Amino acid sequence: MSIVVNLDVMLAKRKLKLKELSEKVGVSTVNLSILKQGKVKAIRFSTLDAICLALDCQPGDILEYVE
Amino acid sequence: MKKLKKIAVILLMTLISGLGGYYYLISESPFTMAIPLLIGGFFIFNLIIRKSLAFKEYFTSEYNFFTAKARMEQSYDISKELMFEKIKEVIDESDFKLVEADKDKFEILAISRITFKSWGENLYISFETRGNETIMKFCSSTLFQVSSWGKNEKNYEALLNEIETSLTV
Repeated sequence: MSIVVNLDVMLAKRKLKLKELSEKVGVSTVNLSILKQGKVKAIRFSTLDAICLALDCQPGDILEYVE
Repeated sequence: MKKLKKIAVILLMTLISGLGGYYYLISESPFTMAIPLLIGGFFIFNLIIRKSLAFKEYFTSEYNFFTAKARMEQSYDISKELMFEKIKEVIDESDFKLVEADKDKFEILAISRITFKSWGENLYISFETRGNETIMKFCSSTLFQVSSWGKNEKNYEALLNEIETSLTV
């Protein structure tokens, strides 16, 4: 897939752990792990919104299109 | 609602025991009573042992003619460990009840209650890695019934749909 999820990069930048993000966002660690690997079928705007709020970033920081 | 259910069960039990007594009275030989007793005993035996992964082979064996089985495979490009945890989450939110999850063998046992929608199935899920993919093997077995009239398939297909839906985060 040409959409790359840079969630691990953002987590490292913010020095946050997946479990901490899970608690802030209200999405299970299992789902966040699957998202981190880019294996999810789709991502809800509400989830993206919550992640951006928790990590203080833009959607483009998390999702990237690679040709 | 729970009280009504209990009353219905008591009435059913009374009816069955009453019919059993009547059957005993009209039958010429007491040995004919052995048949319903055997069936009842078999049912209770299955009911007791169903909540353990140790009896997986018994329920899913093709030589067990008293349980209807439906098998299916589904593959995902997610690691086995992650998929194992994911399925546990999905089962917790479904009509099935998670009974046992063996992380060493990567096996899960979930059961459904005996309701109007379900015959009381045992759902066995095992995980296997083939290349980059995780193959999940589903085997849904009825508690004590030769045919499930499609209810088995319907219930676990609903679970498969829930897995697909849960991949939208």
